[in-house]
Amino acid sequence: MTHITIKLKKKLRYRLDMTFISDISNYKSIKKFLSKKIYYGNKEVNISSLFNVTGTDTSKIVIKSSMNYMDNIGIGLRNIEMIVYGDVGYSFGSNMQSGKLVLYGNCLDYAASGMKGGMIFIHGNTGKYLGGKPNSSNEGILDGFIYIKGNVGQNSIQRMRRGNVIINGNLGDYACEEMISGSIIVMGRVGNSFAEGIKRGTIITKEKKITKDYRLASKAEYNFIDFFVNKISKILKLNLFSRKTIISRYHGHKNNDNLSEIFLFKS
Amino acid sequence: MIYKGIKIDNTFAEAFNMKASRIIVTADNSKWARNACNSFTGFATSVIACGIEAGIEMSLKKSETPDGRPGYSILLFSMSRSQLEKQLETRVGQCILTCPTTAIFSGMNGEDMIPLGKNLRYFGDGYQISKKINNRRFWRIPVMDGEFLCEELTARVPAIGGGNFLVLSSNRKSCLEACEVAVDAIKNLPNVITPFPGGVVRSGSKVGSKYKALIASTNDAFCPTLRSFTKSTLSENVNCVMEIVINGLTSEDISLATKKCIESISKSKIKKDILSISAGNYGGKLGQYQFHLRKIMK
Repeated sequence: MTHITIKLKKKLRYRLDMTFISDISNYKSIKKFLSKKIYYGNKEVNISSLFNVTGTDTSKIVIKSSMNYMDNIGIGLRNIEMIVYGDVGYSFGSNMQSGKLVLYGNCLDYAASGMKGGMIFIHGNTGKYLGGKPNSSNEGILDGFIYIKGNVGQNSIQRMRRGNVIINGNLGDYACEEMISGSIIVMGRVGNSFAEGIKRGTIITKEKKITKDYRLASKAEYNFIDFFVNKISKILKLNLFSRKTIISRYHGHKNNDNLSEIFLFKS
Repeated sequence: MIYKGIKIDNTFAEAFNMKASRIIVTADNSKWARNACNSFTGFATSVIACGIEAGIEMSLKKSETPDGRPGYSILLFSMSRSQLEKQLETRVGQCILTCPTTAIFSGMNGEDMIPLGKNLRYFGDGYQISKKINNRRFWRIPVMDGEFLCEELTARVPAIGGGNFLVLSSNRKSCLEACEVAVDAIKNLPNVITPFPGGVVRSGSKVGSKYKALIASTNDAFCPTLRSFTKSTLSENVNCVMEIVINGLTSEDISLATKKCIESISKSKIKKDILSISAGNYGGKLGQYQFHLRKIMK
């Protein structure tokens, strides 16, 4: 069995809801899937009129020639590995349950919003509200693993409950608002108003300015750092930084008794 | 059967179904990881009185451990799930948590999970921090040297305990040396442990006793000092018998370990004093597994 390959026949003129791809395993055959009607502009068309689809193995899907008019790719994804080449639109991988989602391109707003599990790798930049709160919930990322190679827009990672987010680029303003728990590594710069109203959670960064409101805890040894850095490096097959560059830990915001912590590392 | 100059008796070892689990202990250096493991596996030779049988499976390099520090893997065997859970929790709490710089992780995957640091986290008195990575939860417990990191759960799998063989020798010195050579040969063999001190047992037992309170007593058939009193199985020139007990995850693992042990004795200089290799059994009535020595050495 060969994996499913989806290729756009011609450039889109209108936005397209791509939710149907996440349901592909519910169809008895690819033929039935291709005959499904979807809305495009103000018309109803078959999937086959917009896309070339080959392969039969629904556990792995490759989307070629994607473009940023395609919204909701990987929404609610469950036990599927999906690789996307090109830019994507809004809500990439939102409400994802499990599986793996890889994007070689940029995405618009609300990527990974309400994510519940699985892994998302974005080898590009993301728009605003990455890991934001979906309309149906008061919490953003509930669990899972997110890696962003590029930069992340503002208002990202709202009310994160658990999970791990690794950002190789810069993080925009108003990020990590009301963070409840989880772990975040930011390799680049961090914007203004970072982690307002944070309750718990671990942030590893080189941006010293965000520690001004925190108490310097100690320079003690934290076994977790060895482990976490090692684990993340293994997942990403990428040596993010050596544990020796972790210099100090800041614990709890000065104005309240929260249990958040910031590990500062040298760039 | 003569295997490379060593007589192999036509007998079999009798082994039993057990439950096993593997944990990985790491520390800043191998010395302290070893200290923790020695403490953990102390008084864990036999389920008869210790609750579990445990031993160091192998040493692990930095690249093989979850946190990139040197460590050891330990295998634990028990007759029941509840005993395994209880002993694991107690021993981790008293021997690993207390040992400087250590961390502990699950060493195997499986569907049947048992607590590792799940209840131990309360030692943190509310300051413990949970971290979940790839569907596995870890606990960070603040301690005086920094923090103790432990995984929440570990897997429990079916396993086999009680695989064994006996080394029959003309004198005690050569018997012990042969056993040392054999234990060394499987020191880093995966999936097996030799739970007794140094891997060697001198007090092989039989089921029952003349004293009603005891469920096991000395195996008089293999005691050279009792040769003239009891129905001994030893020939006249056998003056010392020692046993190597092997617990493993599968019967193939135990067979392989037994073969490697006997092979290593056959290659050693000491083999001239070894009169034969035998095995301990209960007539084939008690154990679910039989390891026939001659079949293994074929």
